[in-house]
Amino acid sequence: MNGGTAKPVTLGTKLIGFALIVAAIVLACSVPYMPNYYVRVLDSILIYILLGLGLNIVIGYAGLLDLGFVAFYAIGAYTYALLASPQMGIHLPFLVILPIACVLGVLAGILLGIPVLRLRGDYLAIVTLGFGEIIRVLINNADALTNGPKGIAAIHRIDIFGLTISTPKDVFWLLLVTCILVAIIVWRLQNSILGKAWMAIREDQDAAKGIGINTTNAKLAAFGISAMIGSIAGVIFSAFQRFVSPESFTFQESVLIVLIIVIGGIGNILGVIAGATMLILLPELLRDYAEFRMLLLGLLMAFLIIVRPHGLVPRSFTPDRLFAWMRFR
Amino acid sequence: MSLEFKNVSKRFGSVIATDDVSLTFEPGLIYGIIGPNGAGKSTLINMAAGSYSISSGSILLDGRPIEKLKKHEISLAGIARTYQNIRLFEQMSVMDNLEVCLYPRDVGGVWKEIFVPSYARAKREERQAHCRRLLEQFALEDAADWDANSLSYGRQRMLEIARALVREPRVLLLDEPAAGLNHGETLELKQRLAALRRPELIMIVVEHDMDLVMTLCDRVVVLHHGALLAMGTPAEVQANEQVQQAYLGTIDDIESIRAVAQSRKAERGLRVNADTVRH
Repeated sequence: MNGGTAKPVTLGTKLIGFALIVAAIVLACSVPYMPNYYVRVLDSILIYILLGLGLNIVIGYAGLLDLGFVAFYAIGAYTYALLASPQMGIHLPFLVILPIACVLGVLAGILLGIPVLRLRGDYLAIVTLGFGEIIRVLINNADALTNGPKGIAAIHRIDIFGLTISTPKDVFWLLLVTCILVAIIVWRLQNSILGKAWMAIREDQDAAKGIGINTTNAKLAAFGISAMIGSIAGVIFSAFQRFVSPESFTFQESVLIVLIIVIGGIGNILGVIAGATMLILLPELLRDYAEFRMLLLGLLMAFLIIVRPHGLVPRSFTPDRLFAWMRFR
Repeated sequence: MSLEFKNVSKRFGSVIATDDVSLTFEPGLIYGIIGPNGAGKSTLINMAAGSYSISSGSILLDGRPIEKLKKHEISLAGIARTYQNIRLFEQMSVMDNLEVCLYPRDVGGVWKEIFVPSYARAKREERQAHCRRLLEQFALEDAADWDANSLSYGRQRMLEIARALVREPRVLLLDEPAAGLNHGETLELKQRLAALRRPELIMIVVEHDMDLVMTLCDRVVVLHHGALLAMGTPAEVQANEQVQQAYLGTIDDIESIRAVAQSRKAERGLRVNADTVRH
């Protein structure tokens, strides 16, 4: 992105990659000894990484500004809440609900995708924003089904083959595994021919059509896959909180996920991780400053955008680079 | 096998850009389309590539009407094009710019690419080997990993032409390929285009550069006010009195056309140095 030419892997890059991996492993290993508050923050970071990975497909790869991503998060969360709680009297296991939520997510993604296929830029942003609000308002008012603003409580814990996920530490491991799996799939997707087609659409939609890309199908695939990841995040969130209400799915959540991508580095998986870490951690660290907290957060973000307009992580620093030290030693 | 325009007209409101044009393009030949600004040259290319709808008439590829097809379907039918203002996938590598053209062929195997690493690697290597041959042909192999927008203007042109060739089209439409190129680059362009001549390929070049058209092309089509004025070999067209009167006219007019061509080049040259505007 900067300068444009692929730079060779330097010793510095290798050292940074090595240090980051070691830090991540040390952090993960110390989780069992951490107080619950810290683990909850880590869980929250992982949830947002998951959401960021999903939204990054639409915004980062395909270049479509989607401001209603929280809708898919809500769909996943309510799917789990309705199918594993006394609300409807249905008590399905996690591993059955997950595929259902995935299918519903994909369908919702395509449902949003179809009307906005012809829209770009500002118009797309407005319509997707509306979609996010519609889903929230719908949940808020469908009292019989969703219990309206009071939300759904007493949601079951996740139970995978007799293994109960109950404490924040258990959830951490579940989220970590999910994040790693999703990140690998998204990374492989990015390098597949479909990923390249998305980027071609982002760069020049008409030229992409001109080389024979069916942009309709490619965009719907982006919306569908991205919504599926959002839905998965919702399922885990719902099982982790054991309570969902429309309040968790406001427009602000969508904005936060977009910010994670923009601050981290658009179109870069490592950017999403950096962005989520920073945007979840900062408000926690600034808690001591009470009323100045939001002001400081805003200033910091403005500062970051000025200093690093392309995001915290440069586009050239890909997961390939992160693991470069393993191959060239 | 041919590309045929049958009584094609294009109106923009009350402006008639193309007026009842009937033309047949045969494979194995290089066609040049000339005419003053606003004669409807680019309109013709845009209609053939599906960028513009046509107001009346029909465009046939091998007898099959293509004017109702969507843009990507036209591309899949074997019509490839370049643009007047170069339109590359700027923040993608030079190699990716070519590789992505194989999407229609490989999209069915995407899931396999994601879940079977060995398949993905084999596919990617096969695609890149195919594209590398084109990069070599256009002397771009050293820049394979660069972002497309870091290439010089002349090399961007070459890349755009290479991109149009990835899926071995049957019709190649080039919209002012020499615009913005200096003298040396134009010569190089001419050699590369001449080298592309194949018995099954229809090449159509819209160009202001008379020298390029007259030396490269086998047939020259002259448009005037959207209508077909003449078509024939370069010698025939240059000798055609109608063309001379209406378009080439006196020696002065040839000079004025040259001047126009030069000023357009200068304009493009400026554009190269300007920052890319992103929307």
